[in-house]
Amino acid sequence: MGTFFEPSLIFTSIPKLLSYLHITIEILVLSVALGLLLGILIAVPKLYNVPILKEIMTVYISFIRGTPILIQLFLVFYGLPVVVGLFGVDITRMDPFYFVIITYTLSNAAAFAEIFRAAIKSVDYGQTEAAYSVGFTAWQNFYRIVFPQAIRVAFPNIANTSISSLKDTSLAFSIGVMDMMGRGDTLISATAHALEIYLALSVIYYVIVLIFERCFKWIERYLNRYILKEESSL
Amino acid sequence: MIQLSNIHKSFGKTEVLKGINMQVNKGDIISILGPSGSGKTTLLRCINFLEKANEGSIAIDDIALDVKHATKKDIVALRKKTAMVFQSYNLFQHKTVLQNITEGLVVVQKKSEKEAIEIAKTMLAKIGLEHKADAYPSALSGGQQQRVGIARALALNPEVILFDEPTSALDPELVGEVLDVIRKIAKEGITMIIVTHEMNFARDISNRIVFMDGGVVVEEGSPRDVFNNPKHDRTKQFLRRLTPEYTYEI
Repeated sequence: MGTFFEPSLIFTSIPKLLSYLHITIEILVLSVALGLLLGILIAVPKLYNVPILKEIMTVYISFIRGTPILIQLFLVFYGLPVVVGLFGVDITRMDPFYFVIITYTLSNAAAFAEIFRAAIKSVDYGQTEAAYSVGFTAWQNFYRIVFPQAIRVAFPNIANTSISSLKDTSLAFSIGVMDMMGRGDTLISATAHALEIYLALSVIYYVIVLIFERCFKWIERYLNRYILKEESSL
Repeated sequence: MIQLSNIHKSFGKTEVLKGINMQVNKGDIISILGPSGSGKTTLLRCINFLEKANEGSIAIDDIALDVKHATKKDIVALRKKTAMVFQSYNLFQHKTVLQNITEGLVVVQKKSEKEAIEIAKTMLAKIGLEHKADAYPSALSGGQQQRVGIARALALNPEVILFDEPTSALDPELVGEVLDVIRKIAKEGITMIIVTHEMNFARDISNRIVFMDGGVVVEEGSPRDVFNNPKHDRTKQFLRRLTPEYTYEI
């Protein structure tokens, strides 16, 4: 079985692993994008004190926050087919990729909802009063005045959650999705070298995170364009 | 042109407005004076429904609303007839000076972008801030921000501009530039209702003074009548404290 530690294996395995990078990115982009949309919808009942819905959302957010993502993944993977099976739909043969997207969307949405809620509340009410005084409707005020300002406040937290989510995608292979992690697992079986593969994986994840962080910094700088320099550095 | 009838407003158990009646004619410049807590700002905010009065009716131009039965649609329609200048300016923080003025013209009045920019530039010239068109509010002084606030209100060409203590949040040395801008637009014949603590300004600019205390209108009349010959003791007391022209203390 060759030597105990084979450094060259780290470098030769990186291209093999990278050929599955698009799966990781797809999971991330889809679950963050859908999570943002769903997150806004979840935040609304809490912001506007809609009875019953508000309580449901509170329980939902608290449940997602209080359970590990791996367990959520298994709950959706095994539970969702049972639930939709009650309505006569068979999804037991659905690509596990979709179960991953659903789980991560649900999980991200809960985190984003709380981020949005805090950010929207942080926008000075004077902005809303000014919009109303000009003759805006509530909806015009929300999407033209409050939401664009809330995004600035929310963005750093959205970025952090997205980076966590990127790392969480490595769990997708536990229900059989062939992403970088899944490919790593097969490489380990084929070569009988685990450490080298995990080192290669950690390098890849780390570099991707660094790239994301850099991009997020640029976006943040753009979002802070109308804030005085001294304030935005706080 | 503007008719307020029997406006009542309570916050919890505190009755802030106890049945206010007011008639405003086109071109009137009315200053509302009174001690803190007299309800003058609340009254102003009831006119454009930033506060919803509990009782009474409000009529502006061709819109007449019973406040109890006003729908959201009615309220938006009424607000389109008015504009407001706030104590804390409330400029849209994420929009440039120019965009602050064009925003309402484009979104509410459905004007073309080009026309809106045209109007905004005219307004900026009027307040002497053409060179700040592309600046964000956070880069302006309080006085400049408030002048933009006035330009934003004026650009809408409303039936009435409501001024809510427009100089109260300003450094003393910036008050002058804002009052000068208001004086300038007052000459254009725009109807204005001004809540202010600037007595000399109110006396100079207004054609009518309304003195409020304890949620009622105590006295109203021409500046000359109210300032020189106040009829009610409460008005006399209030003005004496603010303009102690003949009392010297060492």
